[in-house]
Amino acid sequence: MEREEALARIAEIQRVMERATRYTLLPGGVAMVGGLMVLAGCALSWWMLGSLDFAAMLHLSVAGQAGFCLLWFAIGVAGIVLEAVLTARAARREGLSTGGRSTRLALVSLSPSVLVAMLLTYTFLIPMEPRPEEVQYIVPVWMMLYGVGVCSVGQFSIRAPRLLGAAFIAAGAVALLFFRDWGVVAAALSFGILHVVFGLHVIAMRRRGVP
Amino acid sequence: MKHPVRPDDFDAVIHERVRLAIVAALAARPQMGFTELKAALGVTDGNLSAHARALEEAGYVAVSKTFHERRPHTALSLTRSGRAAFQRYLQALRRVVEQGAGPDPEPGPSPAPR
Repeated sequence: MEREEALARIAEIQRVMERATRYTLLPGGVAMVGGLMVLAGCALSWWMLGSLDFAAMLHLSVAGQAGFCLLWFAIGVAGIVLEAVLTARAARREGLSTGGRSTRLALVSLSPSVLVAMLLTYTFLIPMEPRPEEVQYIVPVWMMLYGVGVCSVGQFSIRAPRLLGAAFIAAGAVALLFFRDWGVVAAALSFGILHVVFGLHVIAMRRRGVP
Repeated sequence: MKHPVRPDDFDAVIHERVRLAIVAALAARPQMGFTELKAALGVTDGNLSAHARALEEAGYVAVSKTFHERRPHTALSLTRSGRAAFQRYLQALRRVVEQGAGPDPEPGPSPAPR
């Protein structure tokens, strides 16, 4: 055996080992439906607030504020349930255990940043008199921290989730620095449109036979 | 001083490309489903079955068949001797790279035609 063949075999072994450890259960349908739910939530928020600024929720009645928080909580819970159900279905289709490695990877990678985002949201909203400028931080903070979580998932996966995570971080930074009072639009463009585009990309990838 | 690479340093069973890919994938993961492994390697059902059977007969791969929600599920994993054979094969490759060239291994078993 020549040195070049040995090097080629080592490179092939590395490629196979990398491919075997990729997280490939990316449910494109979840991203699309989740994105559409967020777009509906944004439209409803705009209607409830009469503004594109999330801080306008402070002008709502107590019941209105509770309803507004409940709306976004429900969208978050629906997204998690949808992801769990469709990922389990994809795992069954691929012949994998539904509580297996892919699910654990997604949970371990995403949960720290989501927990931090929840904690920050709590500190922005809970004071007796929440300050509008702090409420305006909520959407950019969620965009950036969600982006960090998706980037983490992407380290074990194909390139697309890493790009999605980077796009969320970049969009969150722009929203934080320049468009804090456009929270509804920022949420629609990121959690809505970016998810729909990502979902379409994953579905197209699957149709082309990319594992 | 390291000994020169001999033909029997290359395990003939895992020298074949698909079988080497199967062993490499299973070295990276404790267990993989048949469908998942097939997608990761880009091989056909028949090709994977035949090569997996050759590895199973050599005692390098363990195959388990179970049912998940009434669907049959075949999982493959590397045995201890399979992992050791893979390590020896990697060491032989490394020595070829260090020494410049080595002998060609003996031909291994061919998968049974389906």
